[in-house]
Amino acid sequence: MAGVTRQAAAIGGGTGLAPGRPRRLPAGPFALVVPGLLLLVVFFALPVLALLLRSVTEPEPGFANYAALIGSGTYLKIFFNTFLVSAVVTLVSLAIGFPVAWTLAILPQGVAAPIFGVLILSMWTNLLTRTYAWMVLLQRTGVINKSLIGLGLIDAPLPMVNNLTGVTIGMTYIMLPFVVLPLYGVIRRIDPAILQAAALCGASRFQALRLVLLPLVAPGMAAGALMVFVMSLGYFVTPALLGGTANMMLAELIAQFVQSLVNWGMGGAAALVLLVVTLALYALQLRLFGTAGLGGR
Amino acid sequence: MLLQFDRLGWWRWVLVGITGLTVVYLLMPILFIAALSFGASQWLIFPPPAWTTRWYGELFADPRWLESAWVSFVIACVVAVLSVVIGLAAAYGLVRGTFRGREALKAFFLTPMILPVVILAVALYALFLRVGLNGTTTGFVIAHLVVALPFAVLTITSALEGFDKAIEDAAILCGASPLEAVVRVTLPGIAHGLFSAAVFSFLASWDEVVLAIFMASPTLQTLPVKIWATLRQDLTPVIAAASTLLIGLTILLMLLVAVIRRGTRS
Repeated sequence: MAGVTRQAAAIGGGTGLAPGRPRRLPAGPFALVVPGLLLLVVFFALPVLALLLRSVTEPEPGFANYAALIGSGTYLKIFFNTFLVSAVVTLVSLAIGFPVAWTLAILPQGVAAPIFGVLILSMWTNLLTRTYAWMVLLQRTGVINKSLIGLGLIDAPLPMVNNLTGVTIGMTYIMLPFVVLPLYGVIRRIDPAILQAAALCGASRFQALRLVLLPLVAPGMAAGALMVFVMSLGYFVTPALLGGTANMMLAELIAQFVQSLVNWGMGGAAALVLLVVTLALYALQLRLFGTAGLGGR
Repeated sequence: MLLQFDRLGWWRWVLVGITGLTVVYLLMPILFIAALSFGASQWLIFPPPAWTTRWYGELFADPRWLESAWVSFVIACVVAVLSVVIGLAAAYGLVRGTFRGREALKAFFLTPMILPVVILAVALYALFLRVGLNGTTTGFVIAHLVVALPFAVLTITSALEGFDKAIEDAAILCGASPLEAVVRVTLPGIAHGLFSAAVFSFLASWDEVVLAIFMASPTLQTLPVKIWATLRQDLTPVIAAASTLLIGLTILLMLLVAVIRRGTRS
């Protein structure tokens, strides 16, 4: 800061101008927003709207695409599966994320720092690398099956890829930091004296957890859960690689409509369904928790 | 009591146990992929029957791997620069401007972050097919810029909000032109935010798969597309070699960020 002020003084001295009225920037603030705004309108908002529009214009005007989407058991199963996978991933992430965030918040800095390092490393590692690693580890002859058999826990390899187990393990791996990091912040802000007070009033550890700590952490957990759920709903890569054809999710269906079936009408309709659900949940998040949950990455 | 480690009783061992297992869970894929990339087994069997650098040899012998890595790098660099420049302008306008609808505009700038990327990919694919941008570097840059820009706007906005505007005003009072004040006082003051924005934008492009799958052509593909295409055929250890190099790069980047953060703090 001192350097900056000195620089400011130096600039003033250098130009030798008398202090005058502060002038405005040559371009007004709004003009500065325009390039970014144009980019997002032309290459984001308009193309997305055009895609959604195709759902009611192709192959002919009307809502036939939506009728087909809702009327088919195959598609309904994909909707159900998308929600199921997202819900399971969210629950598992919370169940692991809360105790980990709690531990990190109370461990001495020197012990917590390397654990944070591992968390950040896993988060910054290439998405495909992480998914590939799980495909290798979980395959029939993979390390995990081999060790379980070696330990005598199972006799035959467990099927852990191309099913719900595989998707859950792979996606929880990706989502975990998005739960742990915000929850850590929430727990750090809690005054330990509140819990000491609970102890002094005779609360057992379990009572203190249930009646004091959990209610204090609950808003953070809800915000994290909603964020993970919304992110999972639209996931494409990991479900496509770790899930089987029986576990197809909505994002994969959209890609398939467009890439393999070249059916833009159905693709647009499925995209609209995903978009509406995502935006509705996002609006709920803003309503309940403000923008705090945004930008976890 | 619950927030003091030494007063948790046996509970602390439960917490430490869960955290320990989680660390194993987080590290396992990274460590095993690194180990298997040196293993001689084509089927990635662990422990490997012997050790070898064969997969790295195959990786570097195939010009398509290097080419796609270079394509990714160039695109990510261009995206990082454009994203910081456009993001800085937008963030400055949004923070310092007093025009109406600022809040709505701010929210709009962040929407690409929440929209499922597959929707954007399909929508841009349709547009690019029509205007002939599919399979071009320009197409890649535009697509990645759309997803990178929100990170730049978010990071630079918070840096600007944390920067005391009085210092900029002081420079102007001392006779600096407004532009001079921004360039020589404000920008150095938010250098940390600009750097983070560049790193996030670079990573957003470098790691991006979904948009890239739709934008790629047989002659132009990024590294993630190359990995994706190879993965769909088989789990060859060559991918493990490529992955290990990528993990090494990530660790280098983390160290770089840590060093620069420490440098700006003191």
